[in-house]
Amino acid sequence: MSSLLGYLGLSLLLFVIGAIGVCIRRNAIVVFMCIEMMLNAVNLSFVTFSKLLGNLDGQIAVFFVMVIAAAEAAVGLAIIISVFRNVASVETSDAAELKW
Amino acid sequence: MTFMGFVLAVCAVASGIGVIGFRNPLYSAFSLVANLMTMAGLYALLDAHFLAVSQVVVYAGAIMVLVLFVLMLLNLKVEGGAKLGLMRAGLALTAGVLILVTGLKPIMEHFSSVPAITLRENATKTVGDVASIGEQLFGRYVVQFELSSLVLLIGIVGAVMLAKRKHVQLAPRSVFGEAE
Repeated sequence: MSSLLGYLGLSLLLFVIGAIGVCIRRNAIVVFMCIEMMLNAVNLSFVTFSKLLGNLDGQIAVFFVMVIAAAEAAVGLAIIISVFRNVASVETSDAAELKW
Repeated sequence: MTFMGFVLAVCAVASGIGVIGFRNPLYSAFSLVANLMTMAGLYALLDAHFLAVSQVVVYAGAIMVLVLFVLMLLNLKVEGGAKLGLMRAGLALTAGVLILVTGLKPIMEHFSSVPAITLRENATKTVGDVASIGEQLFGRYVVQFELSSLVLLIGIVGAVMLAKRKHVQLAPRSVFGEAE
């Protein structure tokens, strides 16, 4: 088994763990953390391919993903706080109403 | 994969399972910090030195502090009450297996024949240190780099706007309604 397969398999495994977490967890902050983990899994395969293909474009892509993740963290957590003010909970099932 | 890479991979999977397994969101957050740290180690093994450092600083530092700050601010209790339904767990597991299979198939088809030497041969060309990343970032990708600063600015302004908004008409269900 080459090391390339190991890195890609690990990336896939972490992505699947993140996806399962998004499905089964109800706490919006934990769901958010699972999404971060999925982003990281994809970043790992970007870096692996960057090394395999011998150019740096993959690493630049990871850099931009990190920038977007930082912006996403700020906005996402602000949304979670905003929802918490309205329904006094961060459980995803408690925020199911569109209007009240 | 070297021995170090194997150890880091096992740690990454274990802490990843920890993120979705712990009932207390605080433990999940710390588990995610461990996960991000092991990912930084894997980046370093793949010669992406700049990314390894910025992973620790940006992800494990800034973003996770923000997450922990919100967790502490909201003072959440341990997730309890309704247990995870069998159907929900089954659906989640099915989704996971489907993603795993669809991902594994192309990986096995296209990359199982790539010899392990290729990774080492290309190593000298792709050392992602600060100099080479900076050269790319301020050369070919300078427009995208400037745009990403705009994205961050909009993110900051948006976060302030969302957090500042008043909800006066929602008094009956608003937690901050009585205090005002």
